[in-house]
Parts: sequence; structure tokens; C-alpha cells
Amino acid sequence: MLGSFAVLRKQSLLGDAISHAALPGIAISFLITGAKDSHTLLLGALVSGLIGTFWIRGIITKTHLKSDTALGLILSLFFGFGMLLLTFIQKQPNANQAGLDKYLFGQAATLVESDVWMMAIVTGICLFVLLLFWKEFKILLFDKDYAKTLGFNTKLIDILITSFIVLAIVLGLQTVGVVLMSAMLLAPAAAARQWTNSLATMVVLAAIFGAFSGVFGTAISASQNNLSTGPVIVLVAAVFVLISFIFSPSRGLLFKQIRFIKNRRDLELHKTLAFMYHIAESHADITHPHEIKILNGFQGYTKGTLKKLVEKNYVTLKGSTWSLTNEGFESALNLYNQLSKNDE
Amino acid sequence: MSSAQIEIQLIASLVAVACAIPGTFLVLRKMAMISDAISHSILPGIVVGFFITQDLNSPLLILLAALTGVVTVVLVEYIQKTGLVKEDTAIGLVFPVLFSIGVLMIAKKANDVHLDIDAVLVGELALAPFDRLLISGVDVGPKALWVIGVILIITIVLLLAFFKELKLSTFDKGLAASLGFSPVIIHYGLMTVSSITTVGAFDAVGAILVVALMIAPAATAYLLTTDLKKMLSLSILFGVFSAIAGYWVAHQLDASISGSITTVLGFLFLLVYLFAPSKGVFAVMYREKQQRTEVSLLTFLLHLKNHDEERERHVNHLNEHINWQKVRSKTVLDLALKNNMIEINKNIVSLTVKGNAFTTQAIDYIITNEDAQIEDMKDDFFLFRG
Repeated sequence: MLGSFAVLRKQSLLGDAISHAALPGIAISFLITGAKDSHTLLLGALVSGLIGTFWIRGIITKTHLKSDTALGLILSLFFGFGMLLLTFIQKQPNANQAGLDKYLFGQAATLVESDVWMMAIVTGICLFVLLLFWKEFKILLFDKDYAKTLGFNTKLIDILITSFIVLAIVLGLQTVGVVLMSAMLLAPAAAARQWTNSLATMVVLAAIFGAFSGVFGTAISASQNNLSTGPVIVLVAAVFVLISFIFSPSRGLLFKQIRFIKNRRDLELHKTLAFMYHIAESHADITHPHEIKILNGFQGYTKGTLKKLVEKNYVTLKGSTWSLTNEGFESALNLYNQLSKNDE
Repeated sequence: MSSAQIEIQLIASLVAVACAIPGTFLVLRKMAMISDAISHSILPGIVVGFFITQDLNSPLLILLAALTGVVTVVLVEYIQKTGLVKEDTAIGLVFPVLFSIGVLMIAKKANDVHLDIDAVLVGELALAPFDRLLISGVDVGPKALWVIGVILIITIVLLLAFFKELKLSTFDKGLAASLGFSPVIIHYGLMTVSSITTVGAFDAVGAILVVALMIAPAATAYLLTTDLKKMLSLSILFGVFSAIAGYWVAHQLDASISGSITTVLGFLFLLVYLFAPSKGVFAVMYREKQQRTEVSLLTFLLHLKNHDEERERHVNHLNEHINWQKVRSKTVLDLALKNNMIEINKNIVSLTVKGNAFTTQAIDYIITNEDAQIEDMKDDFFLFRG
């Protein structure tokens, strides 16, 4: 759901960066509290995720480094620091540390009821805030300067939306793990983007796609041994994306190709018709029959196009000869006029 | 220092150098995230290679993994070319999918062999010296050292051979193409080198550290210089320094070496980010503050020139009228006084001859908006700062 905003804001990889950046937070909050309570760990993850995000912002605005460099930098540095802390923790004389690294890859099966409740509550809050600030988010997304001139506090809204993205990511970490979180954020949104141009529809669609890939992925992974949940969910989501890429009516590759072929056919048809027109023009009687063979020397001609012309009632066939009908002559004339008009 | 310690530091340094070279170009070409994508998506390549050879040490593994890296790049570019999504989304979609496939393949088929996702992602330098390369029974050193050494030599040879081409195509694609160098070939060449480096290095230091070693030194160097050669050597320097320093930190803390190398890199970057002479945060903030003062001064002088009435030029009135806070108006006033732009007579401010000339010049510039006119004024501005 929030992924839609990330995709449209060209911050897709932010998810990846944040999910990595959350690691030191988890480790530090464990070091401080010494307990493996998932709420405090998530809080730590949230804080370090936010720090990472705002540092990325800082790098982009204050220096000439580009966003991709900033993202990669923060991602790897935070993750490395997190690994350092994790290995450091493992050497500590504290038997409680095992299982911290499950955050790396995530395991939906380890979720307990309280986690699920918390997720539900946070999702509810996200939804509520989203509806509350819908107008502001939308305007910020598409026209930042306009939003500013209207007197919205763009910075505040920006921070709000970023925080919620971070929150969503941190929550998702437990389920699918660090590496795959970015796909969970992106895939449903990217799929939804193909079907619609409206933000509202897109958000709803993305939520549906996300939920479906979650359900299917869990079902598939539960049905077989040795299939971890996270990767399966991601693959299901990827299938959704693939289908959307190919079959979406207005942007999909399949329909684009079909339109492309159709345009080419139309063009050939017109070319043939124009050629016929030129031949017919030289005769007093436009419906005078000509041999089909004459057309063979012309590139745009195929039997198929001839048949199409007959279907459109532009041409009549008689044995091995063809002749233009009046209708065909008229439309060819129009075509010719249009062409010369374009030339001018 | 035992020989194992020396070997670890040597491997780490070599990896750092091997990563810094392609990393510099990736950062300059704005493709830093590609390295992250490659480092994750080589996993299925490694797994497939393992299925074919049943041997974790075969060179075929590296080749296949590098191939997957290139496939990733091609896929990302293909998706991007369809125009359905932006480049970053394409990257974000491709690599988790490939990574998931890799994870699933391991889970399904290779559960009982030594092929651990953790090992792929994190790597363990400390174990590198134990994996010896034996040539006809003679111990010639750790295997990782040889692998990364060969990759490094190839990288350096390629760099020296194609330095001109790389430089040109990085900064001016159009010119490179019109001069007859194919940017596409160079692009894929660079991608292949990055993939191979990533694969060769991940075994020793893990996928994440590879990314860190590629991006962080280059980004740090980029903050300090804009000269390509200097940037290359600086990033190599940073890489090697943090490799060695990171090793000793890890030694002290008894923690992961790759993690601590990354942390050292992070600290280096933070230092440079804050204190770099011309591009650091503090330098930028200082410059912004100076510019703000200069603009204020100009506004103030223009105000003086526009108003002849004494009421408008009273010191206290300025506070209200231009809406400045007391401190700021005092700074501006002092600055103008120091430069002999104004004189204050019984709390009435008026322009001096010099100030008048300067303001006229400024108005000229504002009206015509030509760069040539601001050039002289820049010198004047420097005068104030002095």
C-alpha cells in the first residue's frame, strides 16, 4: 500500500536500504535491553531505519553525491555495522542471543499472536493516516512546488510519509527478511501501476496484490517441505508483476505489440491502396480491371492485404484481375490529399 | 603477527583495491545500486554452478555467478526499456526475485551440503587462510588470495588499457559514441568486471561488504576531489586503510571482520561527509550562511538607495521594515560599515560614494542578469569576508 508512494516517488530502493539499515537498530536495542522482546527490537529497528533514511536525504541534498550512491552507501555501511554488532553479541556471555539473525531472512512461522495483533494495529493506523492526509500526500507526490505554494507544510508531510514507509518495512522484516523486503514493497505497487493511472485505484490494487501474494505464497510454502515463506511470497508477487507487465490493457507489452502490428498492417493497406489509386488514375474508367500481377512488383502488397481491401469493399476481384470500386477510389483520394496536406 | 593475520590483511586489502576500481566508475555512472543487485542475484548462479560441478571451489562457479550478474544487468535494462517502470524499481524487482530463486534452490536441493545463505551474504574472512591452494602438493597460500589476486590483475590491466575509453564514456556518452567507442561494449565490460569482482570477493568477505567496499571508498573520495585519477587513488587508499584498520578493530572486539571493515568505512565516510573542505556538510552550511549574509547586505543597500527620506533610513526603522531580527541586522550593518559602504550619522544611515557605486552595479546585474557583470562583484564579496 505504502509501496505505491515509494514507487511513484522514485524511491523504490529506499525499501532495500531501510531494511538493511534497520539491522544495527535491532542489535543495539538488544544490547541495551538484553531481552528479545520483539517490540523493543522493532523500536530499535524503526529508529535506526529513520536515521538511515534521513542521512540518505542529507547526503543527497548537502553534497553532490547522487541518490543511488547514497542509498548503496547507507545500506552497506549500516548493514556492516549491524553485522559487527551481531557477531559481537554472539560472543557475549548471554544465552539469550540466539535467533536475532532470524530477522535477516525472516520466518513467518515464528510470528506469535501478539506480533500479528501489532501488525494489524499498525496497518490500521497507516490506513487511517493515509485517509486523513490523502489529499496532502497526493498533491505532494505529483506537484511538490504547488503543494508548497498552497501553504502545506511539505517537510512535515514528507517526514510523515517517509516514517510510515519505514514503519511498514520494519514490520515486514520479521516476515520476509531483509533482502526480500524491498520486493514486498515494490512488486505489488509496480504491478498495480500497470493497470491504472489513478492513485486511489493503484493503492487499493497494490494492497490486493500484496495480500494475495502473501496468502498464496504462504499456502504454497506450507504445502511443501523445505520452502521458506519469504522467497515464495516474493516469487508469487513477481509472477503478478510479470502478468501485469504483459497483459495490462493499456501499458502491457502484449497489447503494445498487438497495437504495433495493427498499425503496421494499416500502413501497408494504405500503401497498397495508394499504389492501386495511381494505376487506376491513368484510366478514364476508375473501375477498369487490372491484372493482379502488376501488384507483385510492389512491396507493400500481400494476398492478405488484398483480401482485407476486398472486405472493406474498396476493391473487387474478378478472376485474376482487380478493380477499384468507387468507394475505394474515394478513400484513396482522401488518403492522397491527407498525405499532401501533411507534406505542406 | 602470525602469518595467518598477515594473510587476512593482505586478502582484505586486495579485495578493497579490486572493489575500489570498478566502484569508482559505478559511482560516477550513477549505477551504485547495480552492485547491490549483482551481489544478491549471483546466488542462483552459484547454486546452479554447484549442482553442475558438485564442487564449491571450481572456477566454473565463479564464471556462472558472474554470468548471472550480467544477466541481472541485462534484465534490469530490459525492464527499464519497456518504459513500464523506472530504473530503480526495475533493480528492486529483479534482484529479490533472483535471490529468492537461489534461496529456494538451496532449500530444496542442497540442504545437506555446505552452502549456507549466511555464508554467502556475510562471508567470513577469518576462515580464508585455512582454505589453502595446493599446487602439486606444495602450499602456495590461501585460495582466496589467489582468486582475488588474479581478478585484481585482470582489473588493473583492463583499467590501464581502457582508461581513456572508460573516462570518456563515463563523462560524455555522446562524444564517446561519436568518436567511435561503443559505450555499450564499455558498459557491459564494466558490468562484467564488477560481477566478477563481486563474485571473487564475496567468498572471502560476503556480499554486503563487497557493496560497501565498492561504493563507500569511491563516494568518500568523490567528496574530496573531482579529478578522476585522484579519486581512483584516494578510493584505493581508503579501501586499504579501512581493510587493515577494520581487521584490528575486529581483532579487539572479537567480532566479524567484514562487519568491522564496513564500520571503519562508515566512520571514514562520516568524517569526510562532515568535514570535507569544500563539499562537507559544515563547509556547505558555512557557505550558505555567508551567501545569506551577502544577499541581506545587498537587500539592505538597495533599500538605502531607494529611500531618501530620513524616516526610512533610521537604524531602528530598518529592523521593522526589512523584517530582520536584531542580531542579523546588526551583522549586516557592521559588515557594511566595515567595508565603507555606509555611514551612520545620528542613527541615520546613508550610502557612501563607494556604496552607491556598488549598489548601482548590483542593480545593473539584477536587471540584465548577465554573468559577466557578477564576476567583478564576486571579488568585492570576497573583500567583505576578509
